Amino acid sequence: MHSEDLHVTAQLARLELSRDEEDRLEKAVSQMLEHFAKMKELDVEGLEPTTQLALENRLRDDSVAEVPDNREALLKNAPELEDRLIVIPNVL
Amino acid sequence: MDKHERWRGLFSHPDRLERWQAFARGAEKKIGAFLQFDPQLALADSASGGAPAANPLAGVPFGVKDLIAVRPFRLTCGSRLLKDFVTPYTASAVQRLQARGAVVVGKTNLDEFGMGSSTENSALGRTCNPWDLERVAGGSSGGSAAAVAAGIVPFALGTDTGGSVRQPASFCGVYGLKPTYGAVSRYGLTAYASSLDVIGVASKTVAWAREAFQAMRGIDPRDHSSAEYRPHQRAASGPLRVGVLSLGKGQGGVALDPAVERVWSRALKELPKLGFVLQAVEIPSLEYVVSAYYVIACAEASANLARFDGIRYGRRAPQAENPEELVRLSRSQGLGDEVKLRILLGTYVLRSGFQDQYYLRAQRVRTRIRQDFDRAFAGVDLVLLPVFPCPAFRRGDQGMDPFTQKLSDIFTCSANLAGLPAMSFPAGLEAGLPVGLQFMAPAFGEELLFEACTTFEKHFPSPDSPLYDAGWGG
Repeated sequence: MHSEDLHVTAQLARLELSRDEEDRLEKAVSQMLEHFAKMKELDVEGLEPTTQLALENRLRDDSVAEVPDNREALLKNAPELEDRLIVIPNVL
Repeated sequence: MDKHERWRGLFSHPDRLERWQAFARGAEKKIGAFLQFDPQLALADSASGGAPAANPLAGVPFGVKDLIAVRPFRLTCGSRLLKDFVTPYTASAVQRLQARGAVVVGKTNLDEFGMGSSTENSALGRTCNPWDLERVAGGSSGGSAAAVAAGIVPFALGTDTGGSVRQPASFCGVYGLKPTYGAVSRYGLTAYASSLDVIGVASKTVAWAREAFQAMRGIDPRDHSSAEYRPHQRAASGPLRVGVLSLGKGQGGVALDPAVERVWSRALKELPKLGFVLQAVEIPSLEYVVSAYYVIACAEASANLARFDGIRYGRRAPQAENPEELVRLSRSQGLGDEVKLRILLGTYVLRSGFQDQYYLRAQRVRTRIRQDFDRAFAGVDLVLLPVFPCPAFRRGDQGMDPFTQKLSDIFTCSANLAGLPAMSFPAGLEAGLPVGLQFMAPAFGEELLFEACTTFEKHFPSPDSPLYDAGWGG
C-alpha cells in the first residue's frame, strides 16, 4: 500500500497517524493485503456470498416498548456537560 | 470437597466466602486476570439473591470479559478510550446467569475490543498465564481463561470472534466453548465483527460450561440475531463418529509445534479406546480461512468501531478546535495500534473500487467454507482440530509477532465463519504447559460437544495449574 492510499484510508476512518505510526501501520497493512491476495487462488465463481448467518429474518412488532429510563446514567458518561446538554467545540 | 460443591451457595456462607476471597486476591495479584475485581459490587444491583438455593448456579461466582456490559461495573473493552465508561445496563446473557443466582465478581482482562491472541493488546493491564507467569494467557479472552485456570472462579464468560475463547482456554488448560452463532444473546456485548461474534464460556469442568450455556442460550427480544434454540439431532445412534482433520497440507505454511503434534497424535490413539470412531476428513478451503476471516472481521470492525468518537461518552481529546478534529484526535489518542490496524484494513477493503476484490470475494470464500463443513458433517458427528499451532508463548516472543499470531488463527476461525459451535478441551501437558484440541459440531450441536468432552474428561480431567488451590473449600 502506498502512503497516499494510507492517508486517504486514515482520513476515511477518522484517524490521525503520527509519523511513527504511519511507518509501522503501512508495513502491517501491506503485509495483510498481500495475504488477502491468496484468496484469488480459490475458484469462487458462481458462489453466493455469505453476508450473514441468521436462520430467518425476524421482524419486530410495531408497538411501543417499555425501555428503562437511564438518561441520568447516560449523561454521567458525557465528557463535558452544560446543564443537561453535551458540549462540543464550535462548529463554525 | 467436591470440585463443584464448594462453589455452590458461596455467597451465603460467610466463612467460606472469606477464605475464597483471601485465596482469590492472592492469586489475582500474581496473574492480573481482572481489570476490576469486586465480589460484592454486582450483588446489590442484580437479581442474584432471588434464585432458589437449589439451583446449581446459586451463589456461584463467575467472571465476565470486559467487553460485556455488567452494571454497575465499568465497561472498558480494554481500551484507553473507554477506561472510565460506566455501563447503564447489563447484558442479557449475564442477566440470565444472575437470574439463576450466579454472582459476577469482576471484569476480566482482554485484548482491546477483542482484537488479539495474547491479551498483550490490553491498554489497561497485564495478564500472566497461571502455568508460567512469563508466558501469555492467550487472547483475546485471556483474563477469563487465566482466572479459571488459577481457580479464582469455576467459569468465566468470554467472547469468540475468531478463536478468542478457545485459544486462551487451550493456553491455560481449561475448557472453552464457542456456541453456535445466534445461540446466545449478544445484547450488551460490544460489537467487534457482528457476523462472527458470539459469547462463550471458559470453565474448569465440562459441567460448568454446560450449566452456564444452558442458562444463557435462547432467543432474546433485545437481540434480533439471536435464535430459538432447537438442539441438533444426530441422524444415527451409536458411537460418536469423529472426523479427524487431515493435517500437513493446505495449512498456508502454518506448522504445528512438536508439543502440539505429540498431544494430537496421543489423542488420536486414546479416542478410539474411549469409544469414538475416527475417520479422516478434508477441509480443502482451510488454507483460505485466515484471509477471508480478516477481511470480513476488519470490514465489520471498521463500521462497528466508528461509534467511538469521544462526543457522548469515552475519553475526549482535550485540545480539539472543532468537532471533526475532536473525533479524529479522540480516536487517535484513545485506540491502540492493533485496533487502528484493523480499522484501517477494514476501511480499505470497503473502499469503492476494492470491494469486489476483497470483501465480496471473502464472502464467497466463506460460502465455500460452509459447504466444506456441511459435506464433512454429512459423514461424521464431530470434527477434531488443533486449537493453535503452539502452546502458550512467552511475552514479547519475537517468533510470535502480530502477523504470525493472525496466521495461527487457521484452526479456530473457520467455526466463526461457518457459524458452528466448537469446544476446546485440555488434551495434554507438554513440558509443563497445557495443550488443547477442539471438537466442532453442526449448528446447535452443543450437546454433542459436551458429550464428547465429558467422555474425554472422565479419563483426562483438566490439569490443575500451579496456582490452583481448592483448600479454601474446607
